[in-house]
Amino acid sequence: MIYLASVWLLQDFVQVFLMGFFIVPNVFLMLLLLMSLLPGTKREKQIFLIWAAFAGGLIWDFRWTNLPGMTAALDAGSVAAACFIWHKIPAQGRSVTFFAFILIASVVFSGVAHFTLWTVSSQVALRQFFVQQLLGVPLVIIFSLIYWKVSDRNV
Amino acid sequence: MNILDRELKPWLHGVVSVLLGFCVLWSMITFPELHFTFVDGVNSILYYPEKPAIELRNILKYSSNWVLERASLQERVTELEHTNRALSEEMQRSGIKIFVPKEGNVAAKVMLRYPDDWWHEFRIDKGRKDGIKEGAAVTSEGFLIGRVVRAGQNYAWVQMITSSSFLIAAAVDETRDLGVINGDDKGNLTLLYIPEERRLKNGMGISTSLMGKHVPPGIPIGRIIGVKESKDGFQSIRIQAGAHLTQLYSVEVYSGGDNIK
Repeated sequence: MIYLASVWLLQDFVQVFLMGFFIVPNVFLMLLLLMSLLPGTKREKQIFLIWAAFAGGLIWDFRWTNLPGMTAALDAGSVAAACFIWHKIPAQGRSVTFFAFILIASVVFSGVAHFTLWTVSSQVALRQFFVQQLLGVPLVIIFSLIYWKVSDRNV
Repeated sequence: MNILDRELKPWLHGVVSVLLGFCVLWSMITFPELHFTFVDGVNSILYYPEKPAIELRNILKYSSNWVLERASLQERVTELEHTNRALSEEMQRSGIKIFVPKEGNVAAKVMLRYPDDWWHEFRIDKGRKDGIKEGAAVTSEGFLIGRVVRAGQNYAWVQMITSSSFLIAAAVDETRDLGVINGDDKGNLTLLYIPEERRLKNGMGISTSLMGKHVPPGIPIGRIIGVKESKDGFQSIRIQAGAHLTQLYSVEVYSGGDNIK
């Protein structure tokens, strides 16, 4: 809970700091995906994380977007879909590569949804979208490495 | 038992949360007042934790712009001083008593500007507590950019001149022709109701006419850049805003009009 609140606030501070220049990548969603897909995460915790995604997304909407409920639905839906897919594939397939794929898919989907629904399409908005996605690349690598380290320890 | 098992399925919670998200979205669109209450509540709570990030951002921003802005501001101050002196001399010669105005401006920072409402409104970090009143003129670099539409204790929402619902009386500086300034939600400005026979030239200045106690006359708005269309004996004139409307970081709110602290 403290991790989630800290990362949400960190994302908010960075957005305040860079307001008008670009939109921060959804680090909060990345952390939720990491926590929900780590080996040994129980269903109850996954459900808690889905609702944490909803709450965090909703507050984010009230602070930054003009469509309250959209980020909440996107984040909670992404975490739930990731958990569903994760459980549907065999344990051997739950690799760090697949985790990175889920992370990228969720972040890109969230970014595209925001770009199409929230912003007025323009060159500036398109540039902000690409910068947001590019900034997400090192974060995806960092989160994948964390997943790899933690899952390796659990084997 | 089967129901209990279902309740523990994450995907089910996912579906419920997505549906709930859309319900929230629907209710906020249907009841805008509720939306503003939540937005202002969340922004007020986050105001203090975010303060260090805001201050750091402003320090970096203002220090980088300081050198560039100083030169243009100095030029503007000199120009205003000359105008002021000329006016004072003219008033003294005409025997008009010079009075000291009791009004001022409150400097405020732009805290929130939604991309999809980019040309419509934004939120500032000063409110009623700082002497800001609903209807007050908001300027940037000396040019009118909008008007306060809602004011809370520590914040206020500013409707921009580029908003399609914004209407303000304005005059052409050189000819004193009166019209109404209106936006189109796309960043463009139009001066409406100018009689067709009037021949206005590009480059002529536009400023506010007497509008009310919170919008003083004479605040520059922009310059004429062309004629848009003529209809029913009136022409619409295209106006270029004087302020940089895409780069609004700090603004000034007119706090005159009546007695303030």
